[in-house]
Amino acid sequence: MVAFTIEQIRELMDKVTNVRNMSVIAHVDHGKSTLTDSLVQRAGIISAAKAGEARFTDTRKDEQERGITIKSTAISLYASMTDDDVKEIKQKTEGNSFLINLIDSPGHVDFSSEVTAALRVTDGALVVVDCVEGVCVQTETVLRQALGERIKPVVIINKVDRALLELQVTKEDLYQSFARTVESVNVIIATYVDEALGDSQVYPDKGTVAFGSGLHGWAFTVRQFATRYSKKFGVDRLKMMERLWGDSYFNPKTKRWTTKDKDADGKTLERAFNMFVLDPIFRLFAAIMNFKKDEIPALLEKLEIVLKGEEKELEGKALLKVVMRKFLPAADALLEMIVIHLPSPVTAQFYRAETLYEGPSDDASCNAIRNCDPKADLMLYVSKMVPTSDKGRFYAFGRVFAGTVKSGQKVRIQGPNYQVGKKEDLFVKAIQRTVLMMGRFVEAIDDCPAGNIVGLVGIDQFLLKSGTITTNEASHNMKVMKFSVSPVVQVAVEVKNANDLPKLVEGLKRLSKSDPCVLCTMNESGEHIVAGTGELHLEICLSDLENDHAGVPLRISPPVVSYRETVESESSMVALSKSPNKHNRIYVKAQPIDEEVSLDIESGVINPRDDFKARARILADKHGWDVGDARKIWCFGPDGNGPNLVVDQTKAVQYLNEIKDSVVAAFQWATKEGPVVGENVRSVRVNILDVTLHADAIHRGGGQIIPTMRRVTYASMLLAQPAIQEPIFLVEIQCPENAIGGIYSVLNKKRGQVISEEQRPGTPLFTVKAYLPVNESFGFTGELRQATGGQAFPQLIFDHWSILPGDVTDPASKPGLVVKEKRVRQGLKPEVPGYEEYYDKL
Amino acid sequence: MTNDAVVPVALSTYQDDSAFEFAKVTAAEKLRPHLQLKNADDRDELVTAINKYYSIDELVEFLKQKKTTEDGKTELKFKKVTLQFPDSLIVDSATIVHELQGKLGITLDGGLNNESVKSADNCKCNCRCSDSTCDREETANQKLWILADTSYSPCCVDEVAAEHVGSELVVHFGDACLNPVDKLSAVYVFGKPYIDINSLVAKFRERYPVEEFAKSKILLMADSPHTYILKTLTEALSEDYEYIAYADLKLDKESSARIIGYQPTAQSSKLDTLNRTLVNLKDIDEEDIDLDSILAEQDLFHISTPETPRLLQLTTKFQSVTVFDPETGDINQGPFPNLMRRYRYMHMARAAGTVGLLVNTLSLANTKKLINSIGRKIKEAGKKHYIFVVGKPNVAKLANFENVEMWCILGCDHQGIIVDQNNEYYRPIVTPYELLLALSDELTWTGKWVTDFNSVLEDLDDGNDKDHEDKRDESNDQDGEDYEDAPPEFDPVTGRLLSTSRPLRQLNHLQITSQAEEDPSESNALIKKFSSTIAIKNTVSTSAVHLQNRHWTGLGSDYNNEGEGENSQEGAKLEEGRGGIARGYDYDREVHI
Repeated sequence: MVAFTIEQIRELMDKVTNVRNMSVIAHVDHGKSTLTDSLVQRAGIISAAKAGEARFTDTRKDEQERGITIKSTAISLYASMTDDDVKEIKQKTEGNSFLINLIDSPGHVDFSSEVTAALRVTDGALVVVDCVEGVCVQTETVLRQALGERIKPVVIINKVDRALLELQVTKEDLYQSFARTVESVNVIIATYVDEALGDSQVYPDKGTVAFGSGLHGWAFTVRQFATRYSKKFGVDRLKMMERLWGDSYFNPKTKRWTTKDKDADGKTLERAFNMFVLDPIFRLFAAIMNFKKDEIPALLEKLEIVLKGEEKELEGKALLKVVMRKFLPAADALLEMIVIHLPSPVTAQFYRAETLYEGPSDDASCNAIRNCDPKADLMLYVSKMVPTSDKGRFYAFGRVFAGTVKSGQKVRIQGPNYQVGKKEDLFVKAIQRTVLMMGRFVEAIDDCPAGNIVGLVGIDQFLLKSGTITTNEASHNMKVMKFSVSPVVQVAVEVKNANDLPKLVEGLKRLSKSDPCVLCTMNESGEHIVAGTGELHLEICLSDLENDHAGVPLRISPPVVSYRETVESESSMVALSKSPNKHNRIYVKAQPIDEEVSLDIESGVINPRDDFKARARILADKHGWDVGDARKIWCFGPDGNGPNLVVDQTKAVQYLNEIKDSVVAAFQWATKEGPVVGENVRSVRVNILDVTLHADAIHRGGGQIIPTMRRVTYASMLLAQPAIQEPIFLVEIQCPENAIGGIYSVLNKKRGQVISEEQRPGTPLFTVKAYLPVNESFGFTGELRQATGGQAFPQLIFDHWSILPGDVTDPASKPGLVVKEKRVRQGLKPEVPGYEEYYDKL
Repeated sequence: MTNDAVVPVALSTYQDDSAFEFAKVTAAEKLRPHLQLKNADDRDELVTAINKYYSIDELVEFLKQKKTTEDGKTELKFKKVTLQFPDSLIVDSATIVHELQGKLGITLDGGLNNESVKSADNCKCNCRCSDSTCDREETANQKLWILADTSYSPCCVDEVAAEHVGSELVVHFGDACLNPVDKLSAVYVFGKPYIDINSLVAKFRERYPVEEFAKSKILLMADSPHTYILKTLTEALSEDYEYIAYADLKLDKESSARIIGYQPTAQSSKLDTLNRTLVNLKDIDEEDIDLDSILAEQDLFHISTPETPRLLQLTTKFQSVTVFDPETGDINQGPFPNLMRRYRYMHMARAAGTVGLLVNTLSLANTKKLINSIGRKIKEAGKKHYIFVVGKPNVAKLANFENVEMWCILGCDHQGIIVDQNNEYYRPIVTPYELLLALSDELTWTGKWVTDFNSVLEDLDDGNDKDHEDKRDESNDQDGEDYEDAPPEFDPVTGRLLSTSRPLRQLNHLQITSQAEEDPSESNALIKKFSSTIAIKNTVSTSAVHLQNRHWTGLGSDYNNEGEGENSQEGAKLEEGRGGIARGYDYDREVHI
């Protein structure tokens, strides 16, 4: 296939129906980048010989060295399809040329945020599943995320060569393994699918599942074989596709298709899939790997494979690779799946618009997104920042959802806190250049119409991680991305040389930009904190910080965990605080919020920006709240959107509305720094039972109310069995049976709690799942490797918050110890204050 | 409305006897711990002790000074004398005045009443000399006033209160910061607290075992009342500790202040620091003295616990700090206030858009100059500032100004700076030096904690010339038609980008045309809501911005919201409100008692 030019690509951008934006997602080491290579190679960017080894989309040095993907990388590919293929596309298309914007994403759980950022700008996902390991924890996570964003999946079952060469399975075993994998993918899809997306399950007989080997560069779909045989048998291809999967058998004697696995004589029939699809592959493998030189030419001829001069000399694996690549080129199968089954932006934005846009679903901007209208006002979402070769500057990487973005165009840059009509987080700025992101390279383009993925130059200073870019003053923000991971592991960094401090701060800024999830903050005692999702994520971030962003030597503290403060019961009595002038009093009680409600708030299902009636309905219907209470939520906290609530339960209090602002401000403050260790508060609901206010406005001002509300919040929490929550990882470990003992002993030592252990059918591998406190996870991987002789590799992903059982005020208990240490480090008194400190007697 | 019989609403507040009861102090405090009286009720012992403690005789001698006027007559040098007491020593004030009157020969005449009325009039405007007692000496016409409840920091001389009565001399009792005073003459009477030298030496040896510390550089320091023992102590210790030195009191040469009851021995002016002079330092190159590096080598042993700001300053200067509490005899090696917290505040100051300059002193030299310079500097940095004087600052007073994001406090470095150890204040409070660090474009952190106004002013001047030129260039850039917003700043405290840190630089805020008048017929409000402009007199008002973002915008603003509810057509149901007085409403009686 010919290499393509930028002009060709630019031309295709205008034919939005022929664009496919897709991401490649999977569990770590299931072969995303390697598979991506075969597509890149087809596009002529890298040589065929290197495909499978080059990992074109792993652009960073450490990515190449470690052999894992860290950052998601975008690349645009050009594909032209045959008329036959085009006919089968069920959506509107134009001509045979297609533009595929592909984003290769990292598979390690620590980098899930990169996946989220990639998914936001794409409409389809190629889910890669390892044929031996099957569906793993990260497969499920990313698939769930994709479906949440209304992204349509197709599946490739990868590493089939391993099953054939290493495990030596039979054809039927392999079929069963495929079927099981497809089934477990479908179970996940069925659980999380959005109704608006329609039927998103994957079916091999419909061509939405491919099988192959990224390393060897071959893959096939049932549809490809159906095409071959439909000519031979003279049957309709669609009918053939159905027959080549599932309980469908061919009786060679009678030349008839049947759904029973026995013929009339009770003789076992071979499954059609095995007979027509797997058989040629098995034979090729057997012939080549067993060096049956005489059989090979005949087979090749039968399969219409022509070898060139040198290739004929090859033997064994090398020959196998060449032959298979000629027989079933991976790019063909993948392109076919992508082009035929994944939606174009026009198709996808029609059903994605309302989930993408924060504003009303009937305003101009939302309609423009829905129609993917290149002539409307610009709506562009920047999902991440990609470092440029110019140090400290970034490309803003995103997708045009409506309108057309041009170089030199003046746009409104709306940060995540922007609200229509307000000035906060809003900037006006001209875009310097628009570029096309091509892996390691960028190509300048003049403009980019709706539906395409683009990089912007010159606006990176205005956005920290993500944001909305528009030209319409009335446009709301695009919805902020919600990550499945949470930055729960943190370290303190300081410079070795005091003069480098400004560089460190600048470096922290760059680091925050370059990673969608990392958090750079400062703690109470003035230390710079870098928080990441896991040890690997932190390691990468810190080495970037030290070597790249800041470029100065750093001292890094051992990792610590961030905790949350909460309460376990309702306040044992009404908490009362008086204002400094003693004339105003607030009576409140604290109580815990159900975990489900907290999760809904954290995931944005219950949102402070929502209409209060709609919100009350969710709380009442789904969580059993009293409607009256649910309507009288005064605020969320901390930061105005956290999982803590103030509920007004007062009756007939005069001037109450007047102090609302002060109460809200105080609650933000109190929940940001809780009473026990000064950490964020989580899952606490404060009910204001009564308020007495001075009749004179000056005596009930903010100065009187803010400190009082804070004190009373603390008092009520301390009266309600205060507790601390620690973050818990979900650990998934795949290992052979003999390593399980080692896993258990390490988990036991680390306060781990095994939740499941099962054998993956058809393999000797066991999957152990367990909960592990993040605090105990430091060094876990190393210890596990030691205990199992290097056979077990864990995947750790933040799962939930869990209360550390025990009394926080007792330094002998586990939480008491944690609290004391934390307080001392922050220069506070080691003892947790009693409620009396904040409680006033009448 | 229901058809029930309508009960008239009680319009007057219900009151019974309990409404007029006040909380009573129950705890019995031990009076005058500093005098170490054996029998608190023994009047004679008290008088003797006070005479000794405050060196009353020496003070009397000083007050008796005469001067020769231009026409050759001799008269009293100080006719109007104010006696300033900190809260802890106010118990002794009456006795002291009584003694002074006796010894100065002041007798109370019949005109006392008139005089006191007059003096009360004098200080009516802003009276802090509430306890002013006025006395009159018939012949010399010498008058004494007591100044109590000092507004800002009791360690400083309260010039303003003294000026209310036109005083010529302030006698300052108790611990003092010795910071230079602008105008008035001052006399310091620290008092001489008793200390058991032997037990102190024992404690010192316990903290610094001879074997380990014989060669270490140790500096002794104390608050001003305790300083008199340092010399004795040094002599007692110098045998074993070779490098022991102490910090003696130091008064500014130009100032007209005197110390009564103690004469500092020190004379070297090169070793002046922290209002002290270092005595007995060894191995010092007299030619080239770098005080900071000298101090950084010393271990500090401080007698009495300094106030937080002073303690913070000491910890930044010395290698280590040990505090000895003479009352309890305990030794404390920390934890002391943390400088890194200040680093955090400095970053928060960078992010703040509105700064409140809180003036917490009126007597310190250079205050006005500093206010002006800082104000200018803040403006240059594109931030908005307001100047506040609130009397004694407290949490409630400062929280009243919700729109102020950062306080900068100008006050005495001993007690006049609020170091918010417990996070009580709604907004952080920084010192002028920290604010200056925050205002500079380059991020810097020196690890120093400078509170001296003079050095801050010097720093200010250094940076000024250069900045001015830069500013001019910048303003030219911004004039262009093609306006683009300045990029936001990264706030390392929260890890976010902030667009609000320089409100004055956001030109689009300034270019606000007055909003088109809304059609008046549409609104039936009695008073038009104040317009939504945020520029007042051509400057951005961040307070106006804040007020507009408030949920509560005045009476009636919540009316519409609530009206949308179920019974929008009907008026609200009449309910009985709360009765009683704010200190104890009727409701509280029912529910809580």
